[in-house]
Amino acid sequence: MSPAPHLLIEDLHTYFYSSERHAFIHSVDGVDLSVAKGETLGIVGESGSGKSITMLSVMGLIQANPGVLKGRVTLQSKGGSVDLIPQIEDYVELENKDQSIVSVKKDTVSWRKHIERTMKSIRGKEISMIFQNPKAALNPFTTVGKQIVEMVRLHNPSETEKSAREKAMYWLERVKIDDPVNRFDAFPGDLSGGMCQRAMVAMALASEPSLLIADEPTTGLDATIQASIVQLLQELKTDLGITMILISHDISVISALSDKVAVMYGGQVVEHGPARDILEVKDHVKNHPYTKALLSSIPDEKNVLPNGHLKSIEGEVPDTIDVPCGCRFVERCNAYDAGLKTKCVNARPRLVNITPDHRVRCWLYQE
Amino acid sequence: MLVRSHYVHVNDPQLTEAKGLLAKLRRYDRLDVIYLVYGLMVVSAVVLSYFLGAFNLLPFDPEEMDLEAMMAPVFSNGHILGTDFMGRDLLSRLILGIQAYFLPGLLAITIALTIGSTLGVLAGYYGRRWDTGVTYFNNLLDSFPRLVLILLVVAAFKPNIYYIMMVVGLTNVPNIAALIKNKILFLKQKNFIESAIALGIPAPAIIFRHILWYNCRAVLVIQATLGMGEAILMETSLSYLGFGVQEPTPSWGNMVQAGSNYLLQGDFWPSTAPALFILLTILGFYLLGDALNNILEGKKSI
Repeated sequence: MSPAPHLLIEDLHTYFYSSERHAFIHSVDGVDLSVAKGETLGIVGESGSGKSITMLSVMGLIQANPGVLKGRVTLQSKGGSVDLIPQIEDYVELENKDQSIVSVKKDTVSWRKHIERTMKSIRGKEISMIFQNPKAALNPFTTVGKQIVEMVRLHNPSETEKSAREKAMYWLERVKIDDPVNRFDAFPGDLSGGMCQRAMVAMALASEPSLLIADEPTTGLDATIQASIVQLLQELKTDLGITMILISHDISVISALSDKVAVMYGGQVVEHGPARDILEVKDHVKNHPYTKALLSSIPDEKNVLPNGHLKSIEGEVPDTIDVPCGCRFVERCNAYDAGLKTKCVNARPRLVNITPDHRVRCWLYQE
Repeated sequence: MLVRSHYVHVNDPQLTEAKGLLAKLRRYDRLDVIYLVYGLMVVSAVVLSYFLGAFNLLPFDPEEMDLEAMMAPVFSNGHILGTDFMGRDLLSRLILGIQAYFLPGLLAITIALTIGSTLGVLAGYYGRRWDTGVTYFNNLLDSFPRLVLILLVVAAFKPNIYYIMMVVGLTNVPNIAALIKNKILFLKQKNFIESAIALGIPAPAIIFRHILWYNCRAVLVIQATLGMGEAILMETSLSYLGFGVQEPTPSWGNMVQAGSNYLLQGDFWPSTAPALFILLTILGFYLLGDALNNILEGKKSI
């Protein structure tokens, strides 16, 4: 039997209450994901597909009122396996109707406190997270060095000021900031976006986590800096053997780093499998129509239409309140034939295995 | 071992860092620097006067009456600033008058800053119900005219300056709570707070170090100086009305009041001298607050 995955997400649901529309938005709808130790999982999908919300849910960072999550997230931590999300049914009464939540009874405060208690020993120590827009993610009123020192001492409070400083300097060198000695006392405002992201990575790694979640780490950076950040993450991954979850809508970033890829659409995982099976379109591999459409939307010579336009996916991401009752992608899909149409519109496909480690959610490949 | 890099950088401290205090100050608006220097002079004069009064190092006994020299003019009989209608030395009384402001003013500031920033953090950081509660509390306090509230306290207890300053501090709480709350809401847009949570920095460290210390200390210092000026102004008005510090203990407010009885006879000095001191001192605190605001926050207030 293979060892338990480093992080296992089973049937994760995240709901937000929209006070404008008086309904619950089903942002994450039954996500199943797993990432093995030392492996890199890339999550790809367009904006609003629930990639970031999935990872924020795992980190217990969903703050919006009342933001409810259901499901199971198991982390193999240094001290054994930990359930990150307490069973919400123990704390809160949910009124369900047609698979969507109608109301939440009782207070969610004690449940939230439970999450905070669990997360205290997880955030930073087991899982670190870095965000897009690194300039805003560093405290602008204190030096980069002090912020890294704080992370070092958080992980190991017995560290003296001096040794923590040395460790922080080590991490700054490790992320290849040029001239780390002077950068140590620089304020984030004095650094460029790329250097801020490097400092952010140093901060995230300074507490020596075993899992790094990078949420759009290259968004908002110049193309050349994007490449160097990708290279940095690549090197850290091989050198430190750290498990990484990478969220991006940039397929080239995902393909450069990932061992496994999950494609998300409308809050669901539509395809999950080895990177080479998903990111290279081959005729014999049964890819999800959305994955194929996504790959053919990459601005590239071979994706130019006869009229000179680039290929794109028509339509929009489905509404998250009035969820289509069949496949989420049905309105934009062009792969099904007349025989399948009623099935696609009316029934929800399951995520089924095509090969032992490749799963697709599409009626084309299941009965 | 760490080796200094051979790169030359624009922000090399030797190139950009100003040498000495004067060169540093030259970077700011000249008017701000003048205000800052004047304000600091006033603050040090106030602190010095407080200690002179506390250790009784005064040129004359402030309560000793010199019946030979009532309403003596400036620089007569050794009285540098002259005497009042009872022949008491004005300078000594003015210096001793600081006693009525210094500690009570600090009390007012402490109350305003601690309660104000606590409520501000609750409303801004935790939000939701806390925000609603704090907003209601602020509106409630704001809707009371401050003077009426103070007169209420004076009537209910006794005209003690410390009670009055507690009320002054308390009525300042809404301002500071709103300032801190807005600052936190602004900081939350830049997502470093969320990122700090994600990296596992505990909540007390985020609140005290990252929010209050790194980001709000300038605001708090500015509010402290402005609060001191306001406390002096408040005490002065109350003493003038006869609710503040009671005779024979001198305070600038009751000195103006006592002197004003003789204005019509042409003896303007015994009331004008303390009034001038009030003007210069409060101006000093306000200008200091303003200059600090421009220098530390890098923007014009108002």
